[in-house]
Amino acid sequence: MTRRILVVDDQPDLRLLIRLSLRALGEVAQAASADAALAQLAVSKPDLLVLDIWLGEGVSGLQLCRKLKDDPAMAGMKIMLLSACGQQSDVAAGLAAGADHYMVKPFSPEALLEAAVGLLNG
Amino acid sequence: MNQTTNAPLPDDEARRLQVLIDLDLLDSPPDERFDRITRLAARLFDVPTALVSLLDAERQWFKSRVGMPLSETPRTASFCAHAILQDEVMVVVDACQDPRFANSPMVKGEHAVRFYAGSPIEVGDGVRIGTLCIVDRVPREFGHEERTLLRDLAGIVANEVAALELKAMAERERRSASAVQALLEHLPDGVLLFDGGGNIVSCNPAAERMFGAPCQALAGLPGATLIGMQPAVVARHEGAGRRLDGGAFAAEVSIAAMTLEGEQHLVATVRDIAWHRAEQERVRAANLRRHDFFRTASHELRTPMASILGFSELLLKREFDAATGRELIDIIHRQATRLVGLVNQMLDLARIDAGGSAQMHPVPLDLADVVARVGAAIEDAAEAGRIVVQAAPGLAPVVADPLRVQQALANVVANALAYSAPGSKVEIGIAAEARNGRAGVAVTVADRGVGMTPDQQRQVYDAFWRAGALPDVPGNGLGMTIVREVVAVHCGLVEIVSNPGDGTRVTLWLPLESRLADAEAAR
Repeated sequence: MTRRILVVDDQPDLRLLIRLSLRALGEVAQAASADAALAQLAVSKPDLLVLDIWLGEGVSGLQLCRKLKDDPAMAGMKIMLLSACGQQSDVAAGLAAGADHYMVKPFSPEALLEAAVGLLNG
Repeated sequence: MNQTTNAPLPDDEARRLQVLIDLDLLDSPPDERFDRITRLAARLFDVPTALVSLLDAERQWFKSRVGMPLSETPRTASFCAHAILQDEVMVVVDACQDPRFANSPMVKGEHAVRFYAGSPIEVGDGVRIGTLCIVDRVPREFGHEERTLLRDLAGIVANEVAALELKAMAERERRSASAVQALLEHLPDGVLLFDGGGNIVSCNPAAERMFGAPCQALAGLPGATLIGMQPAVVARHEGAGRRLDGGAFAAEVSIAAMTLEGEQHLVATVRDIAWHRAEQERVRAANLRRHDFFRTASHELRTPMASILGFSELLLKREFDAATGRELIDIIHRQATRLVGLVNQMLDLARIDAGGSAQMHPVPLDLADVVARVGAAIEDAAEAGRIVVQAAPGLAPVVADPLRVQQALANVVANALAYSAPGSKVEIGIAAEARNGRAGVAVTVADRGVGMTPDQQRQVYDAFWRAGALPDVPGNGLGMTIVREVVAVHCGLVEIVSNPGDGTRVTLWLPLESRLADAEAAR
C-alpha cells in the first residue's frame, strides 16, 4: 500500500531534502505555506504531515498543527513537526500542540526516515 | 646614698595620662587664668617660686610659673610626682633632711630647693593631673591654715581646668552639630522628620526640592500626602512620591523610628528613583532583545546547516545520477556560502554592539569617496551600472569609521538594488544637511522599487526580519540592523521614506562633529 506524505516548509531546499529522504515510503507531496497546505488537505488527507514550525509570515506550523489535530476530518493523520528551535520548551510546546513527533533541524535524513516509518507503522 | 628615690607611678597612671592629653593643656601658651593664681600663691606664702605643674609621662611641664626659668624638668627628680600620690598637701620642710630628696639635683644644684609644698590638682573622677606647688630656697614650717589655703588655691586651678574643658566640649558639640546640619543640607536624599502621628515636623533642602515646597509649607502635613503611605518603619519601600503641585515621581522610602526629647518620632529618607527605574527597564529590554536575537540567530544558523548536513548525508549514503548529484552539491555550496555570510554579519553586529565606540576608528571621511567605493565593490557590472550618484560640491568631511560607514551604505544600496526592478535606476544624493541644529552630511539612496508599508518600515531594523514581498531575494535580514547600529554609534540618524509600490528613500545622516556613542545607550 502506498503511503501519502505531505511536506510543508517555506524553504525549497528543505522540501527537496525531505522529499528525497522519504520518497522510499511512498508518494511525497509538498506545500510552501500553511495556506497551500490547507488547500491540499481539503482535497485529500495524507497519512503523514511533515510540518515546519517557522513558515514565514502568516499562520505558524504550531498553530496549523493544533488546528488539524482538533479537526475530526483529519483524525488518523500523523504530524511530525520540524523546527530549528530545539530547546526543551520548544519541544514541549510542539507536543502540547498535538504533534506526534518533534524533529530538530539540522537532522539526519536516516533519522527522519526512521521517525517517519515509526509514525506510519505506529 | 647618692641617689634620689623616684616616686612610684599612681595606680591609674595610664588613664591619668590620657585625661591629661585630652585636656590639651601640655605645651599650650601661657594663660592669665593660671598665672594670676601662681602670682597670688607666691605673694600669699612669700615664696620666690610658685608653679602649676602638669605631670607628663617623662617630665613635669609648667602650665604657669613664677620664679622658675625652666618650662619643664624631668619627672625623675620631681617633688610633684610624689605629691600627686597623696590626698593631702605634701610638705617638705627641709629637703636636705628628707631621704627622698636629699640627693636630688634639684636640691643640690643651682636651683637649691629646700622647702616644697604641693597640693594635687584633681579633675573629673579624682584624676590628679599635677600640682599647684610653692618652693623656697630656705627650710620653712607650713602650718594647717597655710595648707588649707594652698589646697583651696589648687581647687581654683582645678576649676579653671574644668571650665576650659567645658568650653572645649561645647565648641566640639557646636562643630559637630553644624557638621550634621551641613550634612543634612547637602544630602542628595530627601529627609523628612515626622511626629508620632506621622505628620511632618521638618525636612532638609533636598526634600523641599523633591516635593516642590519650602519646609514651612510642608510642616504639619500628613506624611501620607507626600510619600503615598502612612509613615511607619520600612526599609527601601518602592512607591510614588507626590509633589505639592500634584506631580508624582518614583520614590524609594526608608523610615526609622527615633526618640527626640522624649517624644517618639519617625525619620524618612526619600530617594528619587525615576532614573533607576528607567535604567532597570532599559537593561531588561536590552536583555530581552539579546535573548530574542540569539534565539532567532540560532534558528537562522540551523536552517542552512540542515541543508548542508542533510544533502551531504544523502550523497554519502545513496546513489544519485550525475545531474541530481551535482544539483545537491550546488545546494550544499550555496547554503554553506550563505552560512558564512550570516556568521560574518553576526560577528560584525556583535562587535559593534559589544564594543560601541571603542571598536570604531574614526577619521575625517569624505562620504562621496565612500559612496564611490560602495559602487566599485559591486561585482555585477549591470547592477553597478544602475547607480547614479549626485554629490554636492565642497562637502565637509564627517568624522567616522570608514569601514563601518561603507558597510552600512553598502547594505542600504544592496537593498535598493534587490527590491526594485532590474535595470531601474538607484539614485544616491550626497548633501550638507542639518538635523536638530547640528551640521552634518546626508546620503540619500532612492530606488523605484516595491516600497514598504509603515509596518514594514518599523520592522526593517529587527534582526533577521526580511521583507516578505520578494521571497526570492537573497539576504539574511541583518543588513538594516547593522545600518542602525553603525549610525547609532556615530550619533547619526537613519530615515526611511517609502510607500508600497512607490519606491524607497533611505537617508543616512552623520554629524560633522561626531561624538561616538555607546551603541546601547544611543538606542
